Amino acid sequence: MPPTDIFTLEVLRDYLLIGAALFALGILGFLSRRNLIVMFLSAEMMLQGVALTLVGFGRYHGNWTGQILTIMILTVAACEASIALALIVILYNRRSSLDVTLWQEIREAGVPATPASLISEEAEPVDAAPGPESYPHLTPAGVEPAHPVEPWIERRS
Amino acid sequence: MDVILNFIGSVLGMTGTYAVLFGGLGTYLLLPHRHGAIRPRAAHGAGLIAVALGLLIYMTYWRPPGLLLPAVFLYVFGATSVIGAVLTITSRDPVASALWFASVVLSTAGLFLLAEAPFLAAGTIIVYAGAVIVTFLFVIMLAQMEGKADYDRAARSPGWATLTSFIILWCLLASIATLKTGEKVGTGIHHLARNRLEPEKQLLRSRDLEAYIGSPDANMTGVVRRAVSPMSLVADARLAEGEAADNPEATSVLVHRPNVAGIAASMYTDHLASVAIAGALLFVALVGAVAITNPRMPVRPSSSDPAQRAAVGSVRP
Amino acid sequence: MESAYEPGFFVRNAWLIPFFPLLGALVTAVGARRLRGLAHLPVWAGIGLAFLVSLGTLASADHAAKYTVFEWLSAGNLEVPFQVRVDGLSTMMLSMVTFVSGLVAIFAAGYMHGDPSYPRFFALIGLFVASMTGLVLSNNYLLTYVFWEGVGACSYLLIGFWYARPSAAAAAMKAFLVNRVGDFGFAIAIFWLWSIAPGHDLSYDSIFAAAESGSIPTSAIAGISLLLFWGATAKSAQIPLYTWLPDAMEGPTPVSALIHAATMVTAGVYLLARSMPMVAMAPGVQAVIAATGCATALLAAAIALTQNDLKRVMAYSTVSQLGYMFMALGSGVGDVAQLAVVAAMFHLFTHAFFKALLFLASGSVMHAMGDVIDMRRFRGLRHRLPITYLTFAVGALALAAFPPLSGFFSKDEVLGAISGAIHASESYSWVYQIVYWTALVTAFMTAFYTGRAFFLTFHGPEKLPSPNDPEAPPVDAHAHGHADDAHGHHHEIGHESPPVMAIPLMILAGCTVLIGLICLVAWPITGGPAEWFAGHLEKTLGFEALGHGEHGFSWFTATLGTLLGVGGIALAYVMYAEPGPLPARMKERFGALYRASLGKFYVDEFYDATVVAIVRISASISDFVDTYVVDRLITGIALIPRAIGRARLALYQNGLIQFYAASSALCVAFLLLFLVLLGLQRP
Repeated sequence: MPPTDIFTLEVLRDYLLIGAALFALGILGFLSRRNLIVMFLSAEMMLQGVALTLVGFGRYHGNWTGQILTIMILTVAACEASIALALIVILYNRRSSLDVTLWQEIREAGVPATPASLISEEAEPVDAAPGPESYPHLTPAGVEPAHPVEPWIERRS
Repeated sequence: MDVILNFIGSVLGMTGTYAVLFGGLGTYLLLPHRHGAIRPRAAHGAGLIAVALGLLIYMTYWRPPGLLLPAVFLYVFGATSVIGAVLTITSRDPVASALWFASVVLSTAGLFLLAEAPFLAAGTIIVYAGAVIVTFLFVIMLAQMEGKADYDRAARSPGWATLTSFIILWCLLASIATLKTGEKVGTGIHHLARNRLEPEKQLLRSRDLEAYIGSPDANMTGVVRRAVSPMSLVADARLAEGEAADNPEATSVLVHRPNVAGIAASMYTDHLASVAIAGALLFVALVGAVAITNPRMPVRPSSSDPAQRAAVGSVRP
Repeated sequence: MESAYEPGFFVRNAWLIPFFPLLGALVTAVGARRLRGLAHLPVWAGIGLAFLVSLGTLASADHAAKYTVFEWLSAGNLEVPFQVRVDGLSTMMLSMVTFVSGLVAIFAAGYMHGDPSYPRFFALIGLFVASMTGLVLSNNYLLTYVFWEGVGACSYLLIGFWYARPSAAAAAMKAFLVNRVGDFGFAIAIFWLWSIAPGHDLSYDSIFAAAESGSIPTSAIAGISLLLFWGATAKSAQIPLYTWLPDAMEGPTPVSALIHAATMVTAGVYLLARSMPMVAMAPGVQAVIAATGCATALLAAAIALTQNDLKRVMAYSTVSQLGYMFMALGSGVGDVAQLAVVAAMFHLFTHAFFKALLFLASGSVMHAMGDVIDMRRFRGLRHRLPITYLTFAVGALALAAFPPLSGFFSKDEVLGAISGAIHASESYSWVYQIVYWTALVTAFMTAFYTGRAFFLTFHGPEKLPSPNDPEAPPVDAHAHGHADDAHGHHHEIGHESPPVMAIPLMILAGCTVLIGLICLVAWPITGGPAEWFAGHLEKTLGFEALGHGEHGFSWFTATLGTLLGVGGIALAYVMYAEPGPLPARMKERFGALYRASLGKFYVDEFYDATVVAIVRISASISDFVDTYVVDRLITGIALIPRAIGRARLALYQNGLIQFYAASSALCVAFLLLFLVLLGLQRP
């Protein structure tokens, strides 16, 4: 009886399933979140899913190609992250916001921009933070100490 | 009509359908959005439960390797990565998102280790957890995110997005689940050669293809030959297995090929062009990043206006 | 037999002949800025090298000498190799073309000196020579057609060289359009040939072999020959398509010399001569060719009688002499076929030299007169321009067929061929009878107008052009009189041309005399004045099959021709050598005829009123339909998507990345779903 490779098709399927889940959740994040940074995190997550699939296949076939492709993905992801973050910094500096929906200048002429009020309407209400709303006010007591006279203050006034 | 019923029957007959349904519902509830009259806390609780349920059903598809420790680790890493992914995309706070993403990366690296790719596992952790996520966090801090922004609490058309992504997930699941398990696979090429299984009926290993397309020396060259011929530990095991026919004691011999050496050998021979291109890409990205972030005055057109400067100046460290 | 032929060195490298001028043209075009005043050097070198190679090919000429340089076109069952044929006809043409073109190029360096577009001129000259030599060398009709078009395009560019001048632009356009009419005939001939040629092989040898073996029906041969002749009428300026050639002198004078002598107009004659093995099988077409040539010769000579523009006289004389060549070609019936081709090609050969000489000499006169070419505005230049005077005299005598110059022998050959055809032809003998006598009359007219131009220009009291000349036209209708210094002639008028212009004149005059002398010397040795030429030409593909014909030197024809020539010159001398009352009296006497001749028999006006008018009317109708029917329809249809887009689709173009990404992802999702469901159903 020849030895059986423990990385059977069933194990490969585990990898493919986890990769598929990461990929799909990445798509969801990219499509639904408005925050630029979260969008890019989602894109990276899709890449992770693909990398998992590649490594699984490489292991299954018993050659290095999958791992090498994954290394390429790492490279591309690193490049993408650096460029994307640089762009995000620029964009933030312009609008002081990371909202991707603020950037819709390339729309067809005459189409109205999405109003900002719509976002706050759709936004989830914030749960009130537990704890007291106000703090007790203490009245000052005792004698006020004499201020040391400093010549440069005098001169300034 | 029968066809449609047939479809619906086969779709509903799949366990994965329910996993996707629960997971999709849970994720939808977890996404930051105003869920009508439902209080956020209730929505979150229900969402978490649904996601957990979906994940459990999803995990029924997983078939761990026979050994105990790898099986446990597979479950742990897989579950962590999926949960981390859900939380990454649903967290209100970008910092939390980044940290959850770090957990995804770490568990993925663990899965890499299980797949006998230690170099890649280390590389992923170093590059992602070490560099990318730190850079993300740096940017997040730079932008002084607090998780209270309106846009972080309002997902964009979450219903449609959830539908889209979970349709894709269901399709992937369906196609992966219908892969032929092929009980005979793994018993070696001699078996394959004897039974002449049809290659399209099951997912063959490329090294097993040898049984169909002839010996590596015959009519293969270059990359194809190297892809088919034994290179890694598994293939070496198969080599040993070939010798096993006349030497029964050699069956359990597993020759471990050093991982990094193997990758390097393949990368700098078969994939040299890719390496060169990747290097060029990195260089261009470096130049691009420097060029983009180079602070020049026209970046903020109204910086001469003192009120504006006061308003946006706070974002500058 | 032909497969045993081993191509020699010059045959294998004959492609260099078009290549060198092309290379020179390219170098000139690319280095135009650097070269400036030296732009003529690469073209000189190119044409000179081409001439040397041509001389080499002269010795290697053979019936079967062909060589495939490379596979040019290969599409389906159409195989057109870039194949050169180095036989008697092509080597003769090549040597003549490169030699005359080279001299013209040398002359042009002096004539065009100082022109702002000097490099462009030489680049075009190089291209022109390359096209012409390529045309002569190619071994199949399609390749010939390509270079044929190249020659047409180059002539367009060169005639319109001073494109800022409306008359030049119009002349260029006219030349191009008229040539298109002829090219159309040639193209149809090629299509027809392609459809009937065995193996769709358009090369000359296979087509002639097929024609000879009878696998091409006689009617097709006649039709194709007629179509080829149609193409030749445009290129070689025959009735009804000759009208472009006299206008073509709007270009610089060297271009006129090139077009009239060496390159352009000889293409049509060459094409028919090349196709002679096929054309000779259609006696009816032959008669048409001879008649057309005869009519052209007579008409052009009649127009040339009264023209006042020196170059225009020369232009019409070219048309007339081309008519002679076509007469000779058309006489190639029965057993005198070869004789006729030899006569036509010999006349072409000698004509190239003396016509180039005459044009360059006219150019020299024009150069000296400050771009004035109207013969009424200058006279008696023989003392001021001695070299031009002498060389022009040689050319004029040759054109008037004065023995023993080259023109005498070639014209005699032509007349001999026609008289041979009178006896050889069975059913068209009467046509050749008329042609013969008309040719003799035309010879007299030729001598007369040549003498008139010569005496008007160089004899009589000296007179130089001046602005207040009473003879000068009030508004200079002729473009040459514009004197707009477009090509920078800033020198004093009335001086002999510089050596760079005078030397080519002398060489050409020498050649004209020399060819005559060779004929004279070779006569007793070979038994005929042009036998040496015929001997070379006999080494042409298909010519050995043509009837040789007994050719004795006809003293009757020769004496008659000479007498007519001398008579014409004598009449011209009497009328024009000194200013006298005779021309004016003649003008009064034959008033109507004179005006008709001066107005070129109103052929241009006739074309304008008929063909051009019809084309214009149909063009305006098309314009109307296009603007108001087609365009409206298209815009109307285009309005529908625009309205739909404005109303509905533009809303989806909202500029949100996530919306775009979601749309495409949703589509991908449904596509995947469809595929997966399809896959689920199958098992």
